Amino acid sequence: MAVPLGAFIAVSAVLFFIGTAGVLVRRNAVVILMSVELMLNATNLALVAFSRRYSSIDERGSVFVVFIFVVAAAEVAVGLAIVLSAYRNKPTVDVDEIKQMRG
Amino acid sequence: MYDFIEPALFAALTIATIASGAGVVLANRITTSALLMAFTFLNVAAMFLLLGAETVAMFQVLIYVGAITVLILYGVMFTPQSPRPYGLFFQTQKWWAAVFVVPIAIFVALVSFTFKDSATVAPRGGDLLPLATSVFRDFAFPFEVASVLLLAAMVGAIVLVKRDEE
Repeated sequence: MAVPLGAFIAVSAVLFFIGTAGVLVRRNAVVILMSVELMLNATNLALVAFSRRYSSIDERGSVFVVFIFVVAAAEVAVGLAIVLSAYRNKPTVDVDEIKQMRG
Repeated sequence: MYDFIEPALFAALTIATIASGAGVVLANRITTSALLMAFTFLNVAAMFLLLGAETVAMFQVLIYVGAITVLILYGVMFTPQSPRPYGLFFQTQKWWAAVFVVPIAIFVALVSFTFKDSATVAPRGGDLLPLATSVFRDFAFPFEVASVLLLAAMVGAIVLVKRDEE
């Protein structure tokens, strides 16, 4: 008995909401980056599940997952670089404290 | 006879994924968050294996559990970590939040279980061959663009963190 597709999609949705809650609730910039990674991973799970179970044609969904891997690596590298250079200007990683550009 | 193994594995992975994902958000110490994030990624990789996508699972372990976790841990190391200040807005309006979240959660659960497996069975024998065929035949140009994106991100990250030499 195989696990139905809907169960994977439900787990993916829950993981995505956990990531969203982390982005909204936490104030530490590094934890916000981690929560974004959780959201990206939930998307990957949904894409792979649909690709393996929903279409029997080819692996398009897995190809998108590979591209998401690339973009996530670039995103976390540039994001951490921005956090570090902001920390050098003002010694905090609290996103409520970094407000020099607030209008 | 062994039909129960796959649902049992899936249930264990689901509990571990959601518990450690919630731990990333709720943990007080940021190093705990980072390590729980790595554990979440490992569990998702195991779910990829359960779906029969072993190549994607291997990439997941290499890139997420390996590279991104190490990068995040370096970020933790270079920045000062204070005890967690709680977000103020959401904790003061939790009943209103529950009123809005519960219908959304029920709706999402209903929608996600409407997706059924397609009647035709997916081809056996792993996902490496169809994945490679798709990447290098139909998506060859985006693949090259992705390499340029990685190069640009690497140069940008180096420029952003480089100290001014005066």
